[in-house]
Amino acid sequence: MDAKDILTETSEALVDLDQDKVLETINKGLEAGLKPMDIIEKGLLPGINTVGDEFEQDIKFLPEMMSAAMIFQEAMAILQPKIEEQGGADRKVGTVVLGAVKGDLHTIGKDIVKILLKTSGFTVHDLGMDVGTFSFIDKAEEVNADIIAMSALLTTTLVNQRDLIEALEGQGKRDRFKVMVGGGAVTQSWADEIQADAYSDTAFSAAKAAKRLVGRG
Amino acid sequence: MLDLLDVFERADAGPLMKDMDYYMKRLVPKLQEVIRRHEVKWDKSTIVNTDDDLIDGVFEAAVDLIAEAGAYCPDTNRVMEFSRDEVLRAAEQAPKTARFGEGREAKTMAGRKLDDVDAVPWIHVGGGIYTTDEKIYLETVEGLASIDIVDSLSVPSILQMRGKDARVRSPQEILAAIKTVILAREAIRRSGRAGLPIINGISAASNAVSMLAAAAPQFGLRPSDGFLIDFLAEMVVNYEALQKTAYFNSISANVGSTSTPLFGGYGGGAEGNAVLAVCYIIMGVLIYRGNYHYNAPLHQNLRMSSTKPLLWAIGMSNQVNAKHMQRPMVNLPYLGGGAGTEMFHYEMAAYMLTVVPAGGQIFSGHPAKSVVPDSLLPHDHRFHAEMGLAAAKLTRAEAEPLAQAFFGRYEDKIKTPDAGYHYAEVYDLNTRKIIHDDYIRIQDDVRNAVIKTGLDVRPS
Repeated sequence: MDAKDILTETSEALVDLDQDKVLETINKGLEAGLKPMDIIEKGLLPGINTVGDEFEQDIKFLPEMMSAAMIFQEAMAILQPKIEEQGGADRKVGTVVLGAVKGDLHTIGKDIVKILLKTSGFTVHDLGMDVGTFSFIDKAEEVNADIIAMSALLTTTLVNQRDLIEALEGQGKRDRFKVMVGGGAVTQSWADEIQADAYSDTAFSAAKAAKRLVGRG
Repeated sequence: MLDLLDVFERADAGPLMKDMDYYMKRLVPKLQEVIRRHEVKWDKSTIVNTDDDLIDGVFEAAVDLIAEAGAYCPDTNRVMEFSRDEVLRAAEQAPKTARFGEGREAKTMAGRKLDDVDAVPWIHVGGGIYTTDEKIYLETVEGLASIDIVDSLSVPSILQMRGKDARVRSPQEILAAIKTVILAREAIRRSGRAGLPIINGISAASNAVSMLAAAAPQFGLRPSDGFLIDFLAEMVVNYEALQKTAYFNSISANVGSTSTPLFGGYGGGAEGNAVLAVCYIIMGVLIYRGNYHYNAPLHQNLRMSSTKPLLWAIGMSNQVNAKHMQRPMVNLPYLGGGAGTEMFHYEMAAYMLTVVPAGGQIFSGHPAKSVVPDSLLPHDHRFHAEMGLAAAKLTRAEAEPLAQAFFGRYEDKIKTPDAGYHYAEVYDLNTRKIIHDDYIRIQDDVRNAVIKTGLDVRPS
């Protein structure tokens, strides 16, 4: 089996959500001398992108997306140490603190964004739902985040997104973190009004916007 | 049936579990298992199911899922568990009627049967997700109540106090909820139908405190109106919901359980959403003691419920209810097109054909993807009620080709729906007459086209 076949098998196994097969082909690839970054870029990422496309087309759904993300992370647990051993660059593109704002108990959309950010190479700290303004900021400082991402499904919780930006300004930290907003109640005009750095109306565009914000898009 | 304290204690006594473990290790695998076990399968070419064996399979799958996965209470991190017998008893004992309204507007909503072309469905119009400016609120609600064929209303929300949005859980939210109730009741009185019930109590209240406050009788709501208690997606029952259950059952009010299974979420696709929707119909009786139900499946990403697989799933959940429970139930259509657009009307035509011959009641539509403030247009709601009455004269088999035809009229616009109209564009704010020629032309064109296709939508 040549390198191309191994990478194709890795990708297909990820689309099939077959964790054992993904890990087996990765080990086979490493034994065959493939570079870990090539396995990621040409095997795992095409697979996860296919899963993402199928999610957008209603062929796969949230549980399958979550399974694919978990398999991806298992694979990275093997590949990341190899990359470091070989002196390669960390695949990490940035750190995001994520949550649904105070008063909002809806989390499924946020959960999808989390998966897509993780598979895009971000480290994600998910604070869950009903998250207070200063909890976002404290966590972002603690983990030295690049981005704070907030979702709001209810119109009456939107104001908490504005509060966070106001709090960052009040603390003199507005330039330190990029702020992304999304969720059913959020619009581009609202994002403009509160001067958020990015707005996304879908989970996929959120992952792309996050990469743009850290200069990797 | 279990009494309420027994039910509440299940939230304090079930197995402890993290929410993500409940979803991924319990709910999702069990859902997939019961779908396989009972051979629930959507034939992708259909919108309106006519396979009666499949109805039984979905019902059995839902009963098994509740019995084997339970519901999750995030306040206690415990799974509320119920035996199969308890679940079946709730389904068997589900109320078949609910009495709403006062005086000469008092009326009974009765569960319907499959293909029942003789029984006239309950007609419910309006929508709680429309936020509406106080300046046009009375006119808007009065316009809905003035639709003479209507049996009950969902009233829109006023979310502002002195020009600012009321923050969730704030004291202003309580005042906004109270104001919504007072103005809605006054608008209905002005229509000359003072006893007409509001059955989406209480649209402007996001939490139990606001809801209980605004439900106080001095503001105008009565036990003969209807109060909604929601399940969160998926299979989540929080303390707020149980608090409302405790209160509204204590005043013997009409209690409406409501649920929004999310297509693309933990329930997966058409089959999972059909099963979950039926779970909520049963759990509305079992957990909330609801005597009616709002069924509102929604596409997670598209924010609409008029896609082909969702139409099938929604119709299927109505068919299961009609065959096995006949619980009074209205269906809440979330539509892609904006108010008054051609797409909006065709979505409603497809939706009514899916739901009404399946035994469901009539509920006018809500633009969801293109929803904008002040876009509740009473004339749309009359038209959609008329569509529902036309659909009630058809069997499922007769409805299927029509639903396919109307779905085809908007399928290519699902991802890019047209924006709709505002109240102030369509109505003269002084005379309340419709002044927008294009708005009327679009509705007339759609009416003529659907009549020509075979859905006899006559003006009421």
